[in-house]
Amino acid sequence: MSLNPVYVLRETGQNLWRNVLSSAAAVITIGVSLWLFGGFFLFNYAVDNATARWEGGIEFVVWMQPEASLEQDDNIRTSIETSPSIRSWTYVDQDETLEEFQEIFADTPELTEVVSAEILPPSYRVVPVDPSPDVVAELASQFVDRPGVQEVVSADKTIRDIQNLADRVTRVFLVGSVILLTAATLLILTNVVSAIRSRGAEIEIMKVVGATNWFIRIPFMLEGLVQAVLGAMGAWIGLRILDDTVIRGLSQPDSLQLMQGFQVDRSEFYSTSLLVLVIAVVVSGIGSAVAVTRYLDA
Amino acid sequence: MIKLSSVTKVYKGAVVAVRDVTVDIGKGEFVFLVGPSGSGKSTFIRLLNREERPEHGTIYVAGKDIGTLGAWRVPYLRRNIGFIFQDFKLLPKKTVAENVAFALEVIGKPRHVVRKQVPAIVELVGLSAKMENFPHELSGGEQQRVSVARAFVNRPPILLADEPTGNLDPQTSVGIMKLLDRINRTGTTVVMATHDRSIVDTMRRRVIELDRGSIVRDQARGVYE
Repeated sequence: MSLNPVYVLRETGQNLWRNVLSSAAAVITIGVSLWLFGGFFLFNYAVDNATARWEGGIEFVVWMQPEASLEQDDNIRTSIETSPSIRSWTYVDQDETLEEFQEIFADTPELTEVVSAEILPPSYRVVPVDPSPDVVAELASQFVDRPGVQEVVSADKTIRDIQNLADRVTRVFLVGSVILLTAATLLILTNVVSAIRSRGAEIEIMKVVGATNWFIRIPFMLEGLVQAVLGAMGAWIGLRILDDTVIRGLSQPDSLQLMQGFQVDRSEFYSTSLLVLVIAVVVSGIGSAVAVTRYLDA
Repeated sequence: MIKLSSVTKVYKGAVVAVRDVTVDIGKGEFVFLVGPSGSGKSTFIRLLNREERPEHGTIYVAGKDIGTLGAWRVPYLRRNIGFIFQDFKLLPKKTVAENVAFALEVIGKPRHVVRKQVPAIVELVGLSAKMENFPHELSGGEQQRVSVARAFVNRPPILLADEPTGNLDPQTSVGIMKLLDRINRTGTTVVMATHDRSIVDTMRRRVIELDRGSIVRDQARGVYE
């Protein structure tokens, strides 16, 4: 098969122009659905980053002073180890705390460059036997004001509520995006079928004079792909706005303590962008493939 | 060039369009297919370019059993077969030159080949002065000439024509037949289904008569009836 790129681009452009309104509808639908889909991932990343220290059932953290003595540290460790109310615990030393800090503030090099391990507090991440708020509060209070302890922070009800709310919001994003992606696939299919029908005479001639099936198919499949990629570009712009304004806005230093760390790093943003593009290609591939196999090759 | 052995084609509802047809058409022959409507002429032609497949029998075109061709090879078979329609089937938004060039573009011919072959074939059919005209600006005869040019621009060894003069007046039909005769003289095999008695009687070429799908007459230098 020898494909003339000028011919293919001309035919694809004509197909899109013939159905300009429905093409625009498909682009918008794909854009919104992919924005929701990408938003689902970004929001999940942000919530995960904000609540990372509370994963695995950890209900409170005992932050030690960086300059706490070995004896003070041993006292706290013994209390935790011997407490029947504590199921498990993890010690995060200063180097690990620095790694965590660098991960959370990966996009703020001016901050990570000036912070060193020595000034960061090590901590005990504690999982109690009973995670009910009253028991956790009582247990955490046993470590407040002990020598060498800088601060005791508990994953109170608010954090759990945020996690629950985030779960629900992301589920709505996901369900909404799946419904809209299905609609987008059907729209692409309809547009390609419409283009095939409006070019019935040309297709008949092409078949009679010996054009290969792929030669006939490709402009139609490209039409679907162009719609999907335009939609993905729109979604990408929307995701940048979501990240730059909403997510970063919530994680500003002057915002709620709870929301600090609520952010998405560059690698997470670009992997989400790539996923959005892949989904766009898959959606267009399904829509166009069904259209050409059912209405063109028949 | 074309060989059918015991070919039978049955459509849905047990309608037998072609029944146990065996025929051999040599290279460079000009053959008229005649017979009443529904006798199987169009199906005969559609079988030759694999638009239809027979239930029984084998069909050889240019030495190849086209029944065993994979679907992906059918387009390459069709590049060796020109096809002329009764209703011309020209693309209304393309000029004469563009309609003819279309047949080369869609089989991937390079631009310099298209630029060279299109004017030559348009001249052959006598429409050089109307290269940039659109189909609606042409008479029926001129439109059919464009259709012939499109079918022959790739110089196929076989030309199939399904009632090419069916929509034309007698005088215009004569012009089209002269054109087909000229193409036939270049060595191209022409198979033409027709109802046009005067054309068949005038040209005196091989005549194959079909009736209810069967060959009832195969006559060299024949007449319509």
